[in-house]
Amino acid sequence: MALTWRAVLLAALGIPVVLLVPLTGTVIVWAVFVALACAVDAALAASPRQVAVARAVPASVRLDEPATCTVTLTNVGRRRLRARVRDAWPPSAGVLAAAGLTPGTDAAARTHPDRHDVTLAPGEARRVRTALRPTRRGDLHADRVTIRAFGPLGLAARQASVTVPARLRVLPPFRSRRHLPSRLARLRELDGRAAVQVRGAGTEFDSLREYVIGDDVRSIDWRATARRADVVVRTWRPERDRRVMIVLDTGRTSAVRVQDEPRLDAGIEAALLLAALAQHAGDRVELLAYDRRVRARVAGASGPRLMPELADQLAVARPELVETDWPGVVAQVRARMSQRALVVLVTALEPAVVEHGLLDVVPGLADRHQVVLASVIDPEVAALARRRQDATEVFDAAAAERGALERAAVAARLRQRGVEVVEGLPDELAPRLADTYLALKAAGRL
Amino acid sequence: MTTTTTTGPVGRAATPLPDSPDGPPGVVGDGTTARSRASRRWRRARLPLVIGAILVVIGLLAALPEPRTSVTPLAPDNPQPTGARAVAQILGRNGVDVEYTRRFADVLAADAAGVTVAVLGDTALGDPQIEALRELDADLVLVDAPWASSAVAGVDGSGGAPGDEPRPASCADPDARAAGEIVSPGTLSGPPGATVCFPPADGADGTGAYVVTQVDGRRVAVLASALPLTNHSLAEAGNAALALRVLGRSEHLVWYIPSWQDPWNGTTPDDESLSSTMPPWTGPLMLMLGLVGLVAAVWRGRRFGPLVVEPLPVVVRSGETTRGRGRLYRRARAHGHAAAALRAAAAARCASRLGLPRSAGATELVDAIAHAIGRDPRAVADLLYGPPPHDDPGLARLAAYLDDLESEVHRS
Repeated sequence: MALTWRAVLLAALGIPVVLLVPLTGTVIVWAVFVALACAVDAALAASPRQVAVARAVPASVRLDEPATCTVTLTNVGRRRLRARVRDAWPPSAGVLAAAGLTPGTDAAARTHPDRHDVTLAPGEARRVRTALRPTRRGDLHADRVTIRAFGPLGLAARQASVTVPARLRVLPPFRSRRHLPSRLARLRELDGRAAVQVRGAGTEFDSLREYVIGDDVRSIDWRATARRADVVVRTWRPERDRRVMIVLDTGRTSAVRVQDEPRLDAGIEAALLLAALAQHAGDRVELLAYDRRVRARVAGASGPRLMPELADQLAVARPELVETDWPGVVAQVRARMSQRALVVLVTALEPAVVEHGLLDVVPGLADRHQVVLASVIDPEVAALARRRQDATEVFDAAAAERGALERAAVAARLRQRGVEVVEGLPDELAPRLADTYLALKAAGRL
Repeated sequence: MTTTTTTGPVGRAATPLPDSPDGPPGVVGDGTTARSRASRRWRRARLPLVIGAILVVIGLLAALPEPRTSVTPLAPDNPQPTGARAVAQILGRNGVDVEYTRRFADVLAADAAGVTVAVLGDTALGDPQIEALRELDADLVLVDAPWASSAVAGVDGSGGAPGDEPRPASCADPDARAAGEIVSPGTLSGPPGATVCFPPADGADGTGAYVVTQVDGRRVAVLASALPLTNHSLAEAGNAALALRVLGRSEHLVWYIPSWQDPWNGTTPDDESLSSTMPPWTGPLMLMLGLVGLVAAVWRGRRFGPLVVEPLPVVVRSGETTRGRGRLYRRARAHGHAAAALRAAAAARCASRLGLPRSAGATELVDAIAHAIGRDPRAVADLLYGPPPHDDPGLARLAAYLDDLESEVHRS
């Protein structure tokens, strides 16, 4: 049961009446009249529980990209349904944001873009659409569909909220994919380079081709040259079918917000770019999101299935407020990687945390694998270190400098143990990690 | 549901659903029936209803006609020694209608010939009230009200006199003679023609604790003290007889104790004037506006479906640990530690700018910097490795010098 503005108007019409007949009884009679009119109107309204409601949403959408939720309403009752329908979604579905971007919407549709007016004859069906623009990664669960069925006079309405489950998976935005073309071009440059430039432990023989001026004479394959009339050089290509294991730390340090985004999100961006690059390079990519237990895992997916699978798994990864279990990480890597692999640890280079967890287990990992540690650095700490306004700020600056020194010391210790350390601001980390990967590949250190 | 019809699209596409023998797709209803809804509403409303009922019962119990009491001195509902409930109850039992009030407007409303108005105390009376008292038609009993009795009846208080001993009536007033003796402090002197009774033992002529006089054809009785009326002293000597006779002369007694809170200031009361100037439809109109407001409240108050809740992610602000560490330094006044951090960071940056190896020693670094910027090596050494500062200004100065040094090294 709900009233409309018309009921208020009807009650207000009593004001001239009471001026004509100034008695308390007039008010009572009018109140009873209004109540009766509303009750009769509500009784004559179609039942909001006699409506079949179906919701359809796409299975997944990238963050910051629009999606549409379609609600199909079928009047299964006998009365004509005049109703307003609310397609309720959590705030992070961005219903308001989506409406603000749609041109030509009026003010009412802007304030309540999830409400739709429908008129359905018995048996008639109709679809209403709600534009969504999710603002947070993860699974978005739709709330109820509320139907407010008005009576013939429009004074009162009957209302019911129907639970219609729907799930929209919001995938990571993968904004770092703009860095992919340039890195792929670099990857192609690596292919087919002369051996001397990239001679390394694991470079593979690729093919023979004709000598062109500029090639290193030492790469001339004399035997092949003897067989043919031309001078032939050997070309090399980076190793293929290497294994890349990306480990995302979802422990408490990943919850820290850097530039209004959790560290984990920047790590996901870096992981996606690296995975896309490595997949193009012909390597096999596995991913593990871990804190004290496995939060997401992608293994065995290759080719075109890899990136959707990664996005799908990473969509629901979120920071947990627990300390990461680094021996557990090592055990997971050992279980999955029997041969030498590139192990990328996407975590935070927090000196205290690293010293008491990661440093102890890194030797065991770095013995067998090439380990890269990727960490998001915090621009706020750098800004703190430069501030000199008053004594308080100088103390903060000193703390920031001390932290930076300790971080540098820990990074140095990690490098001594054979770990590549990559640091970058949230939007720099992904390209830097990709560059590190390319450098390792060029050096044949995979 | 047998047929699916479409109407013309009104803003949105109206699309037919495929006919299916199972009926339309989707969820129908919210899984409730009229019965389950009623029982759920009843369950939800039960507790507030019970609480409301308890409150109503408590209110009714509190409003039961239990004799209320007060602690106002001389009030007819005050059972304390300073109260006057005893005399008021005896009067009531003997057929006198005692009307207790603290508002002067009530006195005016009850004023008529054949009514007795007892004024107890006059410290809270103002000029308008005194003026109005003079205009009353009713008989007056002024108790412990020297100013009012002087203004109304010309009866003046002439100093205090001890009231321990009973005083004989010593006058012709029948009430006083009936009382015989009373115990009361205070003395009064009446105007010519007044009957003055109960003189003090050593008092002058024409003084006494009780004066009766006629003013403008009505009887004005003045008591010097309220003591004879109190519960404490009523039973002493002839106090009760005098009090009952003086107060019980007429069937209607207005028991007026002036109050500072009384808004009456010489004009007719405000509420009367307000209601008399308002048009007759004001009350019903207010009620009607209340009805409109109620309907509007119900209209706006009904929520269009429940609120949607969403778990929010934890927010761990970056730089929090750094700030915390800075605060620790500050609270511990660790100027030395802070300076060491700033110096080490500056030295490390200068060393990497000058291309020194990580293993370079202090003297090597100082020499390199001094050479690069052309300063005295001792000054540079003092800046980078000198004694730590001991206060905030010293630390700030050091930070500024280090900044200068670094900028010079980077410029070189």
